[in-house]
Amino acid sequence: MSVTIIQKQDFPDFVNRLLSQFRVSGPVEEDGGYAFRVIENSDDLRLDYPTTILPPKKFLLPTKETLFEFDKSGNGTVQAPVVEPRTVVLGVHTCDLHAIKLLDRVFSTGHIDPNYTLRRKQTLIVSIECLTPCDENSFCKSMGTLSADDGYDLHMTDVGNFYTIDIGTEVGEELLQYAKTAPATEENMKKLNAVISEKWPRFPYRLDFDISDLPSLLNMSMKSPLWEELGERCLACAACTNVCPTCFCFDVRDEIDLDLQHGQRIRKWDSCQLDEFATIADGHNFRQSRALRQRHRFMRKGKYILEAHDYLGCVGCGRCARACLVDITPVGVFNELYRQKEVGGQS
Amino acid sequence: MSQNGKPKIAFFDFTCCEGCQLTVIDSLQTHPELLDVVDIVQFREAMSEKGEDYLVAFIEGSCTRESDEERLRKIREQASIVIALGACAHLGGINSLKALHPLEDVRKYVYGDKADWYETYDARPIDAVIKVDGEIPGCPIDRDEFIACVKALLMGKKLPIPDYPVCVECKLKENVCLFKKGKVCLGPITRAGCNAICPTYGASCEGCRGYITNPNDDSMREVLAEAGLSVDEITSIYTMFTTYQVQQKMKQGKETV
Repeated sequence: MSVTIIQKQDFPDFVNRLLSQFRVSGPVEEDGGYAFRVIENSDDLRLDYPTTILPPKKFLLPTKETLFEFDKSGNGTVQAPVVEPRTVVLGVHTCDLHAIKLLDRVFSTGHIDPNYTLRRKQTLIVSIECLTPCDENSFCKSMGTLSADDGYDLHMTDVGNFYTIDIGTEVGEELLQYAKTAPATEENMKKLNAVISEKWPRFPYRLDFDISDLPSLLNMSMKSPLWEELGERCLACAACTNVCPTCFCFDVRDEIDLDLQHGQRIRKWDSCQLDEFATIADGHNFRQSRALRQRHRFMRKGKYILEAHDYLGCVGCGRCARACLVDITPVGVFNELYRQKEVGGQS
Repeated sequence: MSQNGKPKIAFFDFTCCEGCQLTVIDSLQTHPELLDVVDIVQFREAMSEKGEDYLVAFIEGSCTRESDEERLRKIREQASIVIALGACAHLGGINSLKALHPLEDVRKYVYGDKADWYETYDARPIDAVIKVDGEIPGCPIDRDEFIACVKALLMGKKLPIPDYPVCVECKLKENVCLFKKGKVCLGPITRAGCNAICPTYGASCEGCRGYITNPNDDSMREVLAEAGLSVDEITSIYTMFTTYQVQQKMKQGKETV
């Protein structure tokens, strides 16, 4: 595929033109942290951001959304969801791209989720190549998410005074009509190749074993004493799952207006780490202990989701590790399970 | 029930700042349609009329003297449903801090040489005196949550108070964690429902809504200690709103402060 370049000095103009046609979002700095926000000006963008608190998943699966509105009066009517504006999400890292590929599969397997599908169709993804690790918590290289062959509409790489642009889809290509581009010269390509080959050594492998061994490692670790240790530390605050780019569990509730006739059925993010999550009608909770809930979480990440959807449920972004106040991290957990297996303490 | 079919509700206050009732008045400004569905028959903060026939009683404030118990029992006899409104009624709240000091000292500190004129005892939540059917937590209550609770009552449902911690709401708002800014916060164990309003404005959660059903107390205390707090400082954070609960636990031998 041919590679196109945009000079950095022309990039703000590209974004401002996109702003006149689309809802545009991207990473912005806020209060010393970073978040994907809908932007109003290209100046707000921080494409060199390390990581964000929440992943860009929130544009596809909002933290809270209305599934439909109802009116109980008369014969009763139901109103379908509002149409989302076309949204360009700029600056998505490749770990998050891999996560979105998983979500695409999850929400189109079995029941095809109309809200997710609609938003996905309305969302254009412009990803960016990561050239340095976000911080010591990223382990994308171990998870195989440090690059991506697809999943984007456009993919950018920062090559000094210009960005190279890989075109992933036709809609992506159409976006480029708003940009001042030029075909990459041989010199440009040489620079790109140098930037890419120089980036890989900057990222450490952080797992002590090959990722393909993770499912079998977890399979052998159901009875590991580690889960009880995690349960004692875990605050059950659900920060880990709420910041996770691959978690997709939600709760559905009705909110009614004061007239008790009109209302909305809403869907909002839920978390397997919370007491209420696995509590059923008679009050029984089938994952009552924090240990069981943490085990469930890691089994989902490294085994169950892979079995159900052919993708690992963890992309190595490190957000959960950053958010955890008691230092429960995937790298720590997976390496400890591996160590326990190696010393033969577990079977 | 009024002749117009609307349930009659009444508001009462005991020892409190009346800030929760002010929030109710505030919620009437954002949701004036509330008056289409209920009849308020008694609300000293907002009206002069005083009806004694009511179905639902909202009680703000903690009980801080023996003579208030009789009034509470009368409200309980009349009302089919009694709801504790806000932290003082729900937990005892900051009023119960006085139990950390000898009662005589507290009386002298507040009333000086007139200490003997005033009756008082350790502050307690109203469910220590009468049966309570539901609690709307917070210091003050959240106006949207109050409206959601009224709707639930109208539908005969349980109050929609979350049983997950403030961290959930805080993360979803993408606030930078206060622990990352060198502050401490009780968000990991405090019951959500306030939309993490304090951390959102950079102030630590002090636990005014009480704790989730199963807080990991030991781990929370370790996190606070690692953040540099002494045992005394941790105790004072824990007892800000829940002195009554902490002391009850101690009486049952479950915990040391």
